[in-house]
Amino acid sequence: MAEKLTIGKALNAGLRRALELDPKVLIMGEDVGKLGGVFRITDGLQKDFGDDRVIDTPLAESGIIGTAIGLAIRGYRPVCEIQFDGFVYPAYDQIVSQVAKMHYRSQGKVKVPMVIRIPFGGGIGAVEHHSESPEAYFSHTAGLKVVACSSPQDAYTMIQQAIASDDPIVFLEPKRRYHEKGEVDTEATFPLHASRRLRPGTDATVLAYGPMVRVALDAATAAEEDGRDLEVFDLRTLSPLDLEPVYESVRRTGRCVVVHEAPSNVGLGAEVAARITEECFYSLEAPVLRVTGYDTPYPAARLEEEFLPDLDRVLDAVDRTFGW
Amino acid sequence: MSRIKEFPLPDLGEGLVEGEILKWLVAVGDTIELNQPIVEVETAKAAVEIPAKWAGKVHAIHQQEGATVEVGTPIISIDTDPGAGEPPAEAARTPVLVGYGPRTAAASRRPRKANGSTAVVSPPPAEVAPAAPPPPPVEEAPAPPARALAKPPVRKLARDLGVDLAGLTGSGPQGSITRDDVQAAVSAPAAAPAFSAEREQRIPVKGVRKLTAENMVSSAFSAPHVTEFLTIDMTRSIKALDRLRALPEWRDVRISPLLVVAKAVLMAIGRHPIVNSTWAGDEIVVKQYVNLGIAAATDRGLIVPNIKDAGRLSLRELADAMTELVQTAKSGRTSPADMSGGTFTITNVGIFGVDTGTPILPPGESAILALGMVKEAPWVHKGKIRVRQVTTLGLSFDHRVIDGEQGSKFLRDVGAFLTDPEAALLAWT
Amino acid sequence: MAKGDRGAPARGKEVAGEPAPDFVQLLTPDGERIEKSVGADGVEYTVDFTDEEYRGLYRDLVVIRRLDAEATALQRQGELGIWASLLGQEAAQVGSGRALRPQDMAFPTYREHGVLYCRGIDPIMPLSLFRGVDQGAWDPVEFKVNMYTIVIGAQTLHATGYAMGITKDGKVGGDDGEAVICYFGDGAASQGDVNEAFIWASVFHSPIVFFCQNNQYAISEPIEKQTRIPLYRRADGFGFPGLRVDGNDVLATYAVTRAALDNARHGQGPTLIEAYTYRMGAHTTTDDPTRYRVASEVEEWAAKDPIARVRAFVEKQQIADASFIAEVDEQAKQEALHLRERVLAMPDPHPLTLFDHAYPNGSPVVDAQRERFAEYLDSFEGSAH
Repeated sequence: MAEKLTIGKALNAGLRRALELDPKVLIMGEDVGKLGGVFRITDGLQKDFGDDRVIDTPLAESGIIGTAIGLAIRGYRPVCEIQFDGFVYPAYDQIVSQVAKMHYRSQGKVKVPMVIRIPFGGGIGAVEHHSESPEAYFSHTAGLKVVACSSPQDAYTMIQQAIASDDPIVFLEPKRRYHEKGEVDTEATFPLHASRRLRPGTDATVLAYGPMVRVALDAATAAEEDGRDLEVFDLRTLSPLDLEPVYESVRRTGRCVVVHEAPSNVGLGAEVAARITEECFYSLEAPVLRVTGYDTPYPAARLEEEFLPDLDRVLDAVDRTFGW
Repeated sequence: MSRIKEFPLPDLGEGLVEGEILKWLVAVGDTIELNQPIVEVETAKAAVEIPAKWAGKVHAIHQQEGATVEVGTPIISIDTDPGAGEPPAEAARTPVLVGYGPRTAAASRRPRKANGSTAVVSPPPAEVAPAAPPPPPVEEAPAPPARALAKPPVRKLARDLGVDLAGLTGSGPQGSITRDDVQAAVSAPAAAPAFSAEREQRIPVKGVRKLTAENMVSSAFSAPHVTEFLTIDMTRSIKALDRLRALPEWRDVRISPLLVVAKAVLMAIGRHPIVNSTWAGDEIVVKQYVNLGIAAATDRGLIVPNIKDAGRLSLRELADAMTELVQTAKSGRTSPADMSGGTFTITNVGIFGVDTGTPILPPGESAILALGMVKEAPWVHKGKIRVRQVTTLGLSFDHRVIDGEQGSKFLRDVGAFLTDPEAALLAWT
Repeated sequence: MAKGDRGAPARGKEVAGEPAPDFVQLLTPDGERIEKSVGADGVEYTVDFTDEEYRGLYRDLVVIRRLDAEATALQRQGELGIWASLLGQEAAQVGSGRALRPQDMAFPTYREHGVLYCRGIDPIMPLSLFRGVDQGAWDPVEFKVNMYTIVIGAQTLHATGYAMGITKDGKVGGDDGEAVICYFGDGAASQGDVNEAFIWASVFHSPIVFFCQNNQYAISEPIEKQTRIPLYRRADGFGFPGLRVDGNDVLATYAVTRAALDNARHGQGPTLIEAYTYRMGAHTTTDDPTRYRVASEVEEWAAKDPIARVRAFVEKQQIADASFIAEVDEQAKQEALHLRERVLAMPDPHPLTLFDHAYPNGSPVVDAQRERFAEYLDSFEGSAH
């Protein structure tokens, strides 16, 4: 069955389905219950499933994650919401020191099947701490998995798959795209930890995830006017990365550009570039280039359009790959 | 700023893209104050009242109650100076929306300056060779890669040296092309081509081509060539050939202008034997037999088989010999013996549609005649302009052996025979 | 044998409904003066203001409310990205703001526009933060007010550390001693940082007043979601005095804050003040409170309006007449209009400024990115630079 939904509504539908299927699934976070979430992602869920399962918590991120660990040990499957990316850091210790290590240190006896939902990324003209891209901090932490949806279809399917997974998963949602609509086929399946080619092409491979997927696709459309045919991938899973299809692509095109909002230094782009260089060395016409945020704190709203990668910057990088 | 100000729907918080007009609190013509609530709008998050951005009179309302409006769309226009008489007919546009939230992304590139500092004029994607390289003559044969494999420094080397990777066999790991492979491919001191290898076809020089080339070189650069031209009206010869065709015993015989030209040449050689000779360095050898070479274009290239002792053949025998020569050549069965010993050559460039040429002497011969296309052309015939069958003969000769006078006279005789074969036969035999 | 059946914890009424009996109030909602009021700390509080001072307080309250309303309107008109309104909390902010001595340092959250006003900070400054032109960069040293902190509760640790610095510098123990006031909300009291700040402040006996504006809501979550007991009683667990004041009473708020700051500067250590008030507006302009609270509750609190009671008082006591009231309204309107003009005229920052000040001694990485970006910008048609 297919219908047109926003990413926000698709997440809502996916969460609803997860709550229906497994009574052990809980949703917890600030303002998720009565209000339905500041972005309305959990709208209507407390009304239908009760405040026992959709829980408004006290205002403390470390408390949310820490108590969720305990609930997980007890057999629940908590879906924690961190209200904004910039507010996850009080919980960082619980996430990397506790959630990530639990299975390893218990030699497999203790699972933490937790989903930590975080609206991330900029482009909404917000004040500080509402536009961060913290994916590298979590991808760098063994024991965690990290995924990012970019479309309503992926939002609907991936949230359910993440909840059903026994791994602790940081689930990144592109908040600037929450209101964008797309087709959702409720029966469709696609593996959670798989990248996906969204647009075939021959001249260069462009990789993106989350909010930048749309930018990459727009850039590919604009590139047609330059006579360039770009192949675009949505990475979807940041840890583990699924790069085999990307390698196949780069072996054909010889050129690769990675796009992310997070700053350049030690970002996901660096990891991807290193792997592609290793696997596709003989096929590369140019180094793998990265189009990223700058190595400064996220700027004030009136400057963010300069900071964030856009269509022009992506195509500028594609041009540069032809200059070697 | 202009008097009529348009107010667009602002982003009412954190990335909202649209809102529904619930209720207008003012009407067109109402006088309003700054910050007076003018409309109720519902968004995904909240129902909010929007206060007027300017004081004045409501000039126009652009969206109806119940309409869903995108952020940035004008919803109301306010006349900020209602006391100043009738407002201008055209509502002016306000500057760009100062709302926040996700902007409509640009759909195409911002134009760059002509010589942008960072803009790179990218060459067309030339390095990719569409064809697979020839399978490596190696032990294990991995599937040939779709593109040549080479590590980046090797690619640069190849590019700098003008070597096309697509044509190379790689001796490196995974069939990749190494530095040595590239260096080895650099043989001719030719300058790097300005165009890509993709647009060049490489034909190995061997076989007939090789021999022809050698012969041409040796002939062209040893014998001083002179070429003379004579345009003639060979209508009478053509008509003679037509009459021949009509004869029963000639019915199955291939008859073409080349036949009568060959006859003319043989007759003319009889009168000017010097054209049928060879420069031997310290002497000139005049042959008293004519091994008449006919240049033939075949699949293997240009060959010149000759009809031995053509001067002693009847016209019928000559015609048969020519037919056989051409067939043999076309089927590639021409023997080396057929191709050696020629004494005079005719090259028929007319069959390719050209008027004439400056043929190059086959080595060892002193003269060669190029026959051009026989075509209808205006000609002065018996004092009047008539359409006649006209052709141009081009005679190249070795000036060491044949002087201008001799060459010219020979050519003149050939022309005379073709112009009036009856007269020539009567006069010369 | 059960140790002692404590029974179900007291819910509802004591926390979110009626205020507890020990609740300092010096001016009733109807504008009647109460001479003295005893706090939960057992101390009797009074104020002794001149007519001029009463009028001054009224003026502050009215102007702050008017500026706040203008900012809300500007947001609705697309001129500010977001605005956190202080509607209903004017008395808590003016009362505490005016209690500060010049040498004292304030650590706000992001809603204390009234406190900034009292400290002489031009209202345009917080607005540049919400407009997105900068990150609210007034000079903390010059104005003795720290920058706004949007991460909930984080500033309480900063404030405590600053207070520890005052002690280290020997600036405690006299009328000229320095004190710190740290603002935070009811929701923030749940954050680990805030509780850690309480621990540090108590253990180091720091000269700090923790001023909690309990406006009853953390976005949509009411106070019962954050605590089982009145917030001011937390202080007991950490080892320093706490008391509750009517946050809508500018006189009482002034009195308790003044006393607490003076205690701190004289070396008496920290105090927790819970200003019991109400967030009359939304959490921010992106919030819709009709989704989680009832109109009757809002009406109840409207009857306790902080400004109405002061107006009633000054009119009844004939400290102010109609022309004064009108003059204050006019002043507020003019200040609001002036603020509006300046907001609309605020220039956008130059793109290259996004690279400035990441590091005090610069960074070659950032410098290289700035240079490349400048070239990139320059490569477009129509670029001015």
